[in-house]
This record gives sequence, C-alpha cells and structure tokens, in this order.
Amino acid sequence: MKRDTKSNSLVAVALCITSLIIIVVSVASGPRLLNPFVMDSETCRILLAIRLPRTAVALLMGGALGASGAILQGIFRNPLADPYILGISSGASLAASFGIMFGISLFTLSVPILAFIGALATGAAVVILGHGWKGLKPERLLLAGVGIGFFLSAVLMLVMTLSVDDGLRRAILWMSGDLSMVDWELLPVGLSFILIGLALALARHKGLNALTLGDDIAYSLGFNPPRERLYLFIAASLMTAASVSMGGVVGFIGLVVPHVVRRHVGSDAAVVLPLSVVAGGTLLCFADAIGRTVAAPLELPAGVIAALIGSPYFIFLLGQRKAP
Amino acid sequence: MTTLEFAAVSFSYSPKRFMDQMSFSVAEGELVGLMGPNGAGKSTILKLAAGLLSPTKGKVLVGDRAIGSYSGKERAKHVAYLPQILDLQAPFRVGELVRMGEYPQDGSQVFSVEEALHLVGLQGKAKTHLAELSGGERRRAYIAMTLVQGAKVLLLDEPLASLDIKYQFELYNLLKAIVSENKVSVFMSLHDIGMGAMLDRLLLVKNGRMVIDGVPGKVLTDEIVQNTYDLNDSIGVYMAANRTACQVLSVASVL
Repeated sequence: MKRDTKSNSLVAVALCITSLIIIVVSVASGPRLLNPFVMDSETCRILLAIRLPRTAVALLMGGALGASGAILQGIFRNPLADPYILGISSGASLAASFGIMFGISLFTLSVPILAFIGALATGAAVVILGHGWKGLKPERLLLAGVGIGFFLSAVLMLVMTLSVDDGLRRAILWMSGDLSMVDWELLPVGLSFILIGLALALARHKGLNALTLGDDIAYSLGFNPPRERLYLFIAASLMTAASVSMGGVVGFIGLVVPHVVRRHVGSDAAVVLPLSVVAGGTLLCFADAIGRTVAAPLELPAGVIAALIGSPYFIFLLGQRKAP
Repeated sequence: MTTLEFAAVSFSYSPKRFMDQMSFSVAEGELVGLMGPNGAGKSTILKLAAGLLSPTKGKVLVGDRAIGSYSGKERAKHVAYLPQILDLQAPFRVGELVRMGEYPQDGSQVFSVEEALHLVGLQGKAKTHLAELSGGERRRAYIAMTLVQGAKVLLLDEPLASLDIKYQFELYNLLKAIVSENKVSVFMSLHDIGMGAMLDRLLLVKNGRMVIDGVPGKVLTDEIVQNTYDLNDSIGVYMAANRTACQVLSVASVL
C-alpha cells in the first residue's frame, strides 16, 4: 500500500534517531556511568555481561509488545485489546511464577521456557474457546481472553498469598516488568520467536488492514477472515510469549504504543507494525535506563516507569482534537 | 449480458425463516433495487450474492460460474459487498481505505485510486480521516474502494438509509453514472419508494419469496405494494407526492 510517504518517512527517521540515542544512553547509564569512549577491561565486562544484554532485551520486549498490541487491536477491532488484557501475559506469568516460587530448575532456562509454554498454552486455549460454530469470532475471542486472564490472575494471586518464602518478592518483581534477571542466554530464543511472529504479521498486513474494516468487507476484498485472524493471533502470541519469557509482564506498551504510532502515521498496518516495534522498544529501553539509574542501587521496574512516562503523553495526544 | 444470476436458490436460517426457489438475474450495466418488508430476506439475498452465505439448494452464478467456485481474489474482482452499517470507527484515511481495493489486484486495474476518488467526488480528500466525513461521503469512499477492486457487481445493503435527501440524490446520481459509463451493475436493497421508482428495475420480496420482478412502473402499483407490506390504506397520495418531489429534485440535480 502506498501511503502518505513523505511525512511518514520523516516520523520513521526521527523515531530511529531517537531510538539510537536512547540505546547509547541506556548502555552508558546505570548505577555506574560508563564512558563509551574509554574502554578499560572493567567497562568491557559491565558492557558485555550486563548493559548490552539488558538493553537488547528491553528493545526486543518493548518492540514485541508494541507489535502484538497493534495486531490484537486490529483483529479484535477493539482499541482496548492488548496481550495483557487478553490473558496471554497472565498465562505466561503464572507458569513462570510457579517456576520462580517453587524453584523449579530442571535446566538453566526453566523460567523463560515455562513462561513461553504458559503464554502459548493460554493463547491456544483462548483460540479454542473463541471458536464459534462459524470460525473465530472477535467478540468471543476477546471474552475468552478476558475470562481466562482473570482466572489465571486469580490463581496466581492465590498461590502468591499462600507462598511465604523469598520467591514471592522475586515473582512480584518479575511480574512488574523488572529486567534485572536478564542475561545473554535468553536472547537467541526470544529474538527468533519475535522475528518469526513479526515476519508472519508483516506478510499478513493486508489482511490485518482488511479485518479492521469488519469481516464482511474483508471477505468482499477476497480474504478469508477467520483464517487471517488465526494467523495474526499466532503471530501476536509468539511475540508476547517471547517478551514475557525474557523479562516478565509489562503492561501499557502493548495497549498504548500502537495508538500513539497511529496518531502520527495513520493506520496502515504496513507502517504501524514496524514503527510500533521501534517505538515500543525505544520506550521500554528508555524506561529501563531510568529505572535502574535514578534510585540506584534500588531498581524501579521498567514497566512502571514506561507507564509513568507514556501515560501523560498519551493523555496529551487524546486531548488534541484530531480524528482517531 | 447477465452478471449475477440466482437459479432456484433456497436458503434457511431456521424452519420458520427460509427462502424458497428464488430466481432472478441482474444484467451488465443495470441498476436494480431490492425492496420488501423488514425480515423479507433482502439482506440474506445480498449476502448469498456476495458468497457470504451458501445456498442450501440452487445456485448463485456470477459471470456464469457458481460464486463458491472462485478463489477469494477472483471473487473480489466479480462482486463487492458493502453492509448497511459502515464502521464509523474505522481508523483509516480516505486514501488508505480506497487503496485497499488494490489488494485483490495483480496489475490489471480498471480504476486507479485517483480515478475512483474523482468519480465519487472525493478528489482532494485522500488524507481526510473517514471519521471526519459526512455519512454520504463515507459511503462514497467505500464505493470508491469497490471500484478500485474492479468488481463487476456492487451489492449494497441499504446504502440510502440514514442519508438526507441531498445525499440520497448524490448517491443515486453516482450509482447511475457508474452503471451507465462503466458496465458495472448495482444491486441494492432500499426502502424508499420514491427512490425505487427511479431505478432500472425492482425486485419485490416478501417472506423469502419473490413477489414481482419488473420495471418500477409495473412493480410499484397500489395493489402490489399494499399487499406486500400489508397496508390498509392506499399509497397513491404518498407515491404521487413522492414522484413529483423526485422529478423536481432530479431536474434540480441535473441543473
């Protein structure tokens, strides 16, 4: 789809430049400020062991959540849809929290793998419940997601209330989007799932646009709406699962970043998807850099900071009199 | 040349609501109306024609092939369907919407986006948000999308509903221009008898059955309309007034 190319390119370039600056700031900042121009062995060690993996994970997580939100809002035709509200994040966090609290460590990657399994299982359950007699129905799918999400959250709260050991604090931190447990080992799996999900979504961007107009019109344009919705839901589930398994549950980004991006570049999915990746990644990266710097050595969860920074901007945009 | 044909089509939602042995056809370049009381089966007929529903018996033929035998992209180049209610919340700009008509295309486009926008009178509005348009303009933007799509038959479910008289006439004139200049057929449901009187042909349906199929003068007689809609009074006065108003307005719109 051709688009309002000139102004959209400007937005994209501005966003990428901002993103690069924030990446550099994020790598340099922390409890100890690094000077990227003086590379002694200590600086190198901190860079490789802590800062780079953490920055990379923040970028990937935020990007995956931004794209997932853009997909889910389109296929459900609901501006409130996001991985968090649809229960996918809850499934992942429940599975992972079990792992953390009960110290399940069959192998080193147990927590992220549990989270990943939890996210995919929840996504699959939502899809199965959301299947009406004539295929995947948006309202049904949304309700199934909300219902399952509430149930899983309740189970999680129950387990956490009954648990008394030290695992509890770690689980709460993890659930609020704390990125301090990140290391390089999680990156390849997360990255590959995000790339697969994003590629699938981009390949289906026309279907995503058409679904936004409603199933009847999407059908009239030659699409098979239930099939398109299924592919896109799988793409969003893959990316959400990867994100939660790398760094826990971060709300806000999946919900708000796509709306902010659309305000600037319109709603064509071919533009919104990649820019939601960049914007979501940048926001979470920035939030994480602030969270681990301002109150060092205390760490503030990136998800909390992202919401603190992002919400006022979002409310400002809403206040501007401009069509959706 | 026939572009849409119902050959003894039956369809049922439930034992009480069904459509029986419906047969009719729409020829190339025709502007055909579908009228009848609420619940008569107008929307069902349009959805069957669009392929959104499959007949339980009989065949819906588009371009001499059963609609169900086309691939999605092929089907989109034959028929386009617009539901009665168009999403007010669709977050697109006019140009973005109309360009979606290119999705089923592979380079053999009949109308470019610019041509379609010009034809529906929305040139210069490509960057306007759909939400900022009037109801009539929004309907025309969607019609522009179906033109880019290259559909030979436009199936419109009550496109005139909720439009005021000015927009109704604009839309009527647009549809008239589309069918006469571009060999596209329009098959639409409507309630307004005055508008119905201006179409090439009318189908009147009741309880899932065809009452009559013919030119408006033959279909919209007092007796037929009274019987179809279970009216107790003559509609003569209403129709005479309506016809005069239509003539006045159509003259005015030509001027």
